[in-house]
Amino acid sequence: MANTETALKECLSSIDGATAAALVDYTSGMALGTLGGGKDFNLEVAAAGNTDVVRSKLRTMELLGLKEEIEDILITLNSQYHLIRLLKGRGGNGLFLYLVLDSSRANLAMARHQMRRIENELEV
Amino acid sequence: MAVETDVLDELRRLRTRVPRLAGSLAATVDGLVLAHDVPATEPEGLAALTAAALGVAHRMTDAAGRGDFRELLVRGAHGYIATYAAGTTAVLTLLADDRVNVGRLHLEGRRSGARIAELVDARIGPGGGRHADRPAAGDGAPDPVDRSRPIGTLPVRTPQRPAHRPRTGG
Repeated sequence: MANTETALKECLSSIDGATAAALVDYTSGMALGTLGGGKDFNLEVAAAGNTDVVRSKLRTMELLGLKEEIEDILITLNSQYHLIRLLKGRGGNGLFLYLVLDSSRANLAMARHQMRRIENELEV
Repeated sequence: MAVETDVLDELRRLRTRVPRLAGSLAATVDGLVLAHDVPATEPEGLAALTAAALGVAHRMTDAAGRGDFRELLVRGAHGYIATYAAGTTAVLTLLADDRVNVGRLHLEGRRSGARIAELVDARIGPGGGRHADRPAAGDGAPDPVDRSRPIGTLPVRTPQRPAHRPRTGG
């Protein structure tokens, strides 16, 4: 079992191309923990903005009458991938893991696989 | 009057940027309404309460050694009330639903507070308000205006000695 800090460290160290990670509460839009990012990438802004992304998708699914759950959301930019993984179970409800990847160095399939593993080990 | 309309424009813009924002109010630190966009609440009362809360918040940050006042967040069962410093003369109070994105509320509230500070300072000039003796956020040197009056502080009561000492024993 890993706590928030270890899980975020694990994200950056074990996933190739990862440059920033955050654990975000999308009921409030605030981050429970952030790692990486630096001065030119404000993870607080990313947490608030991506909360809107998640809420918007959940609302759309509700309107469409889909009784499904979001496993993850992938956003592809010119040089980055942004991965949002919604946590399930064990108090992880209402939380998502947010990962920024450098697309020239990242392996998407591997990144998703590792995110799933980190989620399973995470205890909030 | 220009400053009020400019501030009101800023409040309207804020409403489009923050979903689930129920209302916003810009007031001077001594509790006078500058501009408001609060449909369901009385703005004068809210401005007065903001000033009162601000006084306590200033004392809290001072007492706890946490520097200048920046913001105040209150949560009720049905939503949030957030107050942000807008320079030394004004404050911004936002009312939001329970399901608001607090992260976004903070980001936009801080940004808006800074913009209102610019608008108000350009018009009135900095250092004119009740907390003028306090340095502005991010501003190093304190403004030596009206230092005699410790403003934003609650009156300190020292209990009076009783005139008659109660008898001890027999």
